[in-house]
Amino acid sequence: MGKPLSTLVFLLLFINCVYSWKKDEFRNCNQTPFCKRARSRKPGSCSLIAADVSISDGDLVAKLIPKESSQENPAKPLVLTISAYQDGVMRLKIDEDQTLAPPRKKRFEVPDVIVPEFLNKKLWLQRLKEERIEGGLVISSVVYLSEGYEGVIRHDPFEVFVRESGENGKKVLSLNSNGLFDFEQLKENKEDNEDWEEKFRTHTDKRPYGPQSISFDVSFYDADFPTKGPGVDDSEPYRLFNLDVFEYAHDSPFGLYGSVPFMTSHGKSRGSSGFFWLNAAEMQIDVFSPGWNNEYSSVLMLPTDQKRVDTLWMSEAGVVDAFFFIGPKPKDVVRQYTSVTGTSALPQSFAIAYHQCRWNYRDEEDVYNVDAKFDEHDIPYDVLWLDIEHTDGKRYFTWDKMLFPNPEEMQNKLAAKGRRMVTIVDPHIKRDESYYIHKEASEKGYYVKDSSGKDFDGWCWSGSSSYIDMVNPEIRSWWAEKFSYENYVGSTPSLYIWNDMNEPSVFNGPEVSMPRDALHHGDVEHRELHNAYGYYFHMATAEGLVKRNDGKDRPFVLSRAFFPGSQRYGAVWTGDNSADWDHLRVSVPMTLTLGLTGISFSGADIGGFFGNPDTELLVRWYQLGAYYPFFRGHAHHDTKRREPWLFGERNTELMREAIHIRYMLLPYFYTLFREANATGIPVIRPLWMEFPSDEKTFSNDEAFMVGNGLLVQGIYTQRAKHVSVYLPGDESWYDMKSGSAYKGRAIHKLEALEDSIPSFQRAGTIIPRKDRFRRSSTQMEYDPYTLVIALNSSKSAEGELYVDDGKTFEFQQGSYIHRRFTFSNGRLTSSNAGPATAGDHKYVSECTVERIILLGLSTQPKTALIEPENRKVDITWGPLLLRGGPGPSVLTIRKPNVRIADDWTIQIL
Amino acid sequence: MKFFGLLDLLLFGCFILLIHGITESAASSPLKDPLLGVSPEDENYFKGFSTSSMIKCKDGSKKFNKSQLNDDFCDCSDGSDEPGTSACPNGKFYCKNAGHSPLILYSSRVNDGICDCCDGSDEYDGKTKCLNTCWEAGKTARDKLKKKIATYVEGVTLRRQEIEKAKLAIAKEEGELSKLKDEEKILKPLVEKLKERKEQIEKVEEEERLRIEKEENKKKEAEEAEKKETKAEDIEHAHDDIQDNIGTVDQPPQNYEEEYRKAVNDHSIKDRLPNTEAEGSIEGSLQADEQLEEGSTFSDSTGLHTENQDENIGEDTESLSREELGRRIASRWTGEKTDQHEEVDASSPDKDHQNTDELSNETNYDEEDNAYTSEEDEHKFDDDDDDDSKDQVDDFGTDDHYNPTPSQKLDSDDESDFSDISGTSGSSWLEKIQKTVKTMLDAVKLFQTPVNISDAAHVRKEYDESSAKLSKIQSRISSLTKKLNQDLGPEKEFYSFYGQCFETKQNKYVYKVCPFKQATQVEGYSTTRLGSWEKFEDSYRVMQFLNGDKCWNGPDRSMKVKLRCGLKNELTDVDEPSRCEYMALLATPALCVDSRLKELQDKLDSLNKQLPQLHDEL
Repeated sequence: MGKPLSTLVFLLLFINCVYSWKKDEFRNCNQTPFCKRARSRKPGSCSLIAADVSISDGDLVAKLIPKESSQENPAKPLVLTISAYQDGVMRLKIDEDQTLAPPRKKRFEVPDVIVPEFLNKKLWLQRLKEERIEGGLVISSVVYLSEGYEGVIRHDPFEVFVRESGENGKKVLSLNSNGLFDFEQLKENKEDNEDWEEKFRTHTDKRPYGPQSISFDVSFYDADFPTKGPGVDDSEPYRLFNLDVFEYAHDSPFGLYGSVPFMTSHGKSRGSSGFFWLNAAEMQIDVFSPGWNNEYSSVLMLPTDQKRVDTLWMSEAGVVDAFFFIGPKPKDVVRQYTSVTGTSALPQSFAIAYHQCRWNYRDEEDVYNVDAKFDEHDIPYDVLWLDIEHTDGKRYFTWDKMLFPNPEEMQNKLAAKGRRMVTIVDPHIKRDESYYIHKEASEKGYYVKDSSGKDFDGWCWSGSSSYIDMVNPEIRSWWAEKFSYENYVGSTPSLYIWNDMNEPSVFNGPEVSMPRDALHHGDVEHRELHNAYGYYFHMATAEGLVKRNDGKDRPFVLSRAFFPGSQRYGAVWTGDNSADWDHLRVSVPMTLTLGLTGISFSGADIGGFFGNPDTELLVRWYQLGAYYPFFRGHAHHDTKRREPWLFGERNTELMREAIHIRYMLLPYFYTLFREANATGIPVIRPLWMEFPSDEKTFSNDEAFMVGNGLLVQGIYTQRAKHVSVYLPGDESWYDMKSGSAYKGRAIHKLEALEDSIPSFQRAGTIIPRKDRFRRSSTQMEYDPYTLVIALNSSKSAEGELYVDDGKTFEFQQGSYIHRRFTFSNGRLTSSNAGPATAGDHKYVSECTVERIILLGLSTQPKTALIEPENRKVDITWGPLLLRGGPGPSVLTIRKPNVRIADDWTIQIL
Repeated sequence: MKFFGLLDLLLFGCFILLIHGITESAASSPLKDPLLGVSPEDENYFKGFSTSSMIKCKDGSKKFNKSQLNDDFCDCSDGSDEPGTSACPNGKFYCKNAGHSPLILYSSRVNDGICDCCDGSDEYDGKTKCLNTCWEAGKTARDKLKKKIATYVEGVTLRRQEIEKAKLAIAKEEGELSKLKDEEKILKPLVEKLKERKEQIEKVEEEERLRIEKEENKKKEAEEAEKKETKAEDIEHAHDDIQDNIGTVDQPPQNYEEEYRKAVNDHSIKDRLPNTEAEGSIEGSLQADEQLEEGSTFSDSTGLHTENQDENIGEDTESLSREELGRRIASRWTGEKTDQHEEVDASSPDKDHQNTDELSNETNYDEEDNAYTSEEDEHKFDDDDDDDSKDQVDDFGTDDHYNPTPSQKLDSDDESDFSDISGTSGSSWLEKIQKTVKTMLDAVKLFQTPVNISDAAHVRKEYDESSAKLSKIQSRISSLTKKLNQDLGPEKEFYSFYGQCFETKQNKYVYKVCPFKQATQVEGYSTTRLGSWEKFEDSYRVMQFLNGDKCWNGPDRSMKVKLRCGLKNELTDVDEPSRCEYMALLATPALCVDSRLKELQDKLDSLNKQLPQLHDEL
């Protein structure tokens, strides 16, 4: 997943090194005809012009026709539509003209990704303004987009762009400025000596519809981070093609498990913008180095007064359905993008705690032992996972009767301690007539078909297998039923699901996946929807978990494959990583990048899936992983056991403390997950998202923000003595462990401590914690809170706390507590940040605040007064962290015991 | 005492009222007993409050007053002010559990909705009702303990017997050893003398031979000069000459034996090859290639493939069938070999049979059955040797495992035929040999030429016999020394383990543990070595075997055998908690130690002592 999606600021350097992954088994651009064709085109070679530009049904419509079409072979025009949506989103669609001679086949448009609410936000375009730009030579049509922004289509040659309002408004984003647009229309028949078949290694792709690719260039303006990405000739483009890659390289632009064709650009002067192409076929994206097109500059007439990054987008099939996001703040772009594809689902509270996984916890006894060891060592965990070996011969929804004779009893025993279990359910179905899933699916014709129309038969864990055709809503609904307690024998309400191998992984298929000419519902070829297959599978599974409790409980489903919109259905992880420091390091840009594409709930396997981490690496991984939105330890079955207590007392203690940090911060994390659910803004964020005008943050992807209040810097090297951390912004930062203040806008060289990685609370924020530790998050429900107030230079701070039942969908009816805490003029105020009246659906909590820690107060008050109760409480010196030995003393309001549900103020006397 | 406690409570309550003037909110319900969760050892610490209003946290970090004791707010980072609440994450909660044994909990268990103490004292916030189950739990525990003690009582006797037996046997063997050493001392110089004499004789013989040869040559030359005419005669003579020469060489050419062996081997290879091919499946030579390649992967110690091998795999996959390709790709994750690798050695005939078996054992890991199934029972592999794991001793009798062969004599080289030199007749035999040699040495006249042939043969025979005997004695000495130098336990209680193997069958595998030697896993005719004897660990409670056969993509196999007190030697519960790291339990009287029995009895006594008290409360 290195770059299933790209954000300009996060491109990594490409180092030529020997990878363990089997490069030869995967196609490069040169072996991919559409990619090779697109890359060989010269800037300015697109000769299409926009004609018949008009307004129709609130959209701008036009026809794209070749400037000089030959008489004997008149080209069919393309239909172009531009529409505007609220909050700064412009949508551009280009497709073949369906009104002409009935096409052989309708090109595929990806269904069920755009959320219905988005379509309701459409602005009804009414007025078209014509203007002559570039000295009156070129005619353009202009439409209103949003306050201060316009959408423009230049007629000849055609170019579409967003600019700041006014004839001389600066460009923000543009398409086809380099004239690389190309749209291969479907042909009726093969021409002479044309060979549509493609061969790769032993696999033949029949390609019955011939070439149908689309490519175009997109330019981002005023971007400060033009990349060190690959050059045109000697390097590979970013490949967006969902693949199961064995032992993937940490530094390759190659395709991995998931794809989100969305790119964000950011620059200091203007801010951020974004471009998203909704297309599920294989995509390749080039990011050009500045000056790449110098020799064509006379043909192109590109503006010279603006910095620009050019990119080339190539897809094997589908239509152009592209979205331009105008920003201008980084958070605006995420918000705009998630207004199209949806925001992250709010997970149940257990799901954001610690998960323990291994391929495989062998049997019930093993499960009980691991569970008991966590308690014995006072290490909290919430979920224990079972990988593929728990099944009867890799028949999902079944249990190996020898190893797991009493699955319900097992789940119930763990549930009695507030713990859940997760089992794996993959999309490959064993072709075994006695297996009910296979029997039903083959009888009902629910499998993906091969190019000859028979059920596709591929090889996966279950041996000879077929794959459920998840693109069909009827089949998804059938699949969802399989998760009911009656159907999934041995499942209980505390059992949740893990979807693996849903790229889909097909061991004997081309590039370890499904042949592109396999057929889905409605005669859609697999090539057209490949990248979305795993998404539909994830969706169907999540719907199953919702259905089994009559829509009451929130589902939890982890998926390996993902696509735009996956955030609505659950968590994803970065797949089969390796136990080395490079993979620890790259987990941060990977999860940050996922967050920028709206997929907030993600993480990497703690410890690294393949190989044995040395103890120091494992400890560092726990210390970093405690801040991943999705926090799970996992390991390959060839590796040594690595549960946190197996490495001696000191290391057990270190890992326990790392996990405790996460549990302590759960109220803060949950509040952030709610923010992601409400606005799309991710839980962990690149520094530049919080500090968009601080250039030093732009290329920093080794530190990250958790919400707006915590900065975390990983330690990525062995036996590190020191670690440098850049603290952005003008305000100070408070070391989370020592409470010491550090200046902002400075690099600090710190001693690398064994027991923690550097983490800082930003001055001006208030972070809610729960300092009591329990076996699992379930038992923390009634525990009191601690508020940590870090005052800024004007002695003020603010923060939020969101609480609900942590389980059901009641919060959607307003059943929650959402507080805003503000501190200024020596007064801490708690006020309602949610809707004024919650009506019938009121979430009730007796929870109180037991401790308020004040960082950065220059006076030393002794008492505080609580209003409206008019009660006085002590201010004393107390520890900043209750664990980890005697630490520094900080000013602490002792036992204010105010309820979090109430309005109150606390005045420092 | 009780009255005093009540008084405390009143004072405590007043204190709160004085300070806050307002009742506490629901979250911090004042405790009925301010000393809740305090262990008996700590009662003195809290008596500090009877003389002073503030006491120090145990770690000395801070002071706190009586109102801060168990007030549901953590003042001491070591938790000393909150023994009865969950406020301090470092705290410990003590539950009395009258009728059963007391328990010390992490503070995180207090009021968390889960009943941890059998007396229910950890859940007092009213949200969770806990039944007092101490009586039942205590009874079960006591019964279990009693049973365990019974086993120990019997086991301790068995152990003593074993030790006695071992002492006798060792004494006997030590006696034998010193006697053998004495014999060696006498025999060695005799053999040397014989050897010397034999060599002298041979030297004389050689000189004699050379002299004769020379004379004959002279004679021949003379004859040659005379009879030069007949060619045929010449040739015949030359032939004779060669024959003679050969006759004088009494040793075969040095390399001959080796060459012969090679020839035989070549022959057998030729014999074997068609066989091997016949065993192979239809895939034929392709597989041979595959296997070679896979073989190189085996030796890849990093566990990750290197580029070169990958390319090989890459090329090869092109020629595979769909199913083979699927299996092949799957095997990257699983580390399993695909079916076609079962016939391993077609291309490497120099591997011995044993190896072939081991490899094929590794390879025919079936796709569907690879989930390692262990038999279900209550045994657990606890890392710590805590009470729980010791308690398991009771269960051994009831297991319905594969009936293990209780013990097996190990046929090993050190038990080789020794009857002719050991035993009571040893000294007389030695005297005889001494005598013979003396007579012989005296008898043979060295400088007599030619050497008396029967004398020479006699010396040779005597030398051969006595040197053979010497080497037998020496090998017995070395095997005895080896045995007696082994770490057989502080009281030699593991003496009987020497030369024994313990077996158990689990599913399709038979596990065989031979202390001081090796541990293996046998499936049909194939044997996988799980490790060679390394040492006892953890005060003779674990036997460790290391450096077994290498795992594909993993470490060398190894095995730990945990020892438990039991009435007979019995191997059970082989498990593989991490891949290629095996564990097993061995019940044995050798572990039934007196001191442990006393501990158990003391524990039972103390449990029983609590009973009358419990009665009062009931």
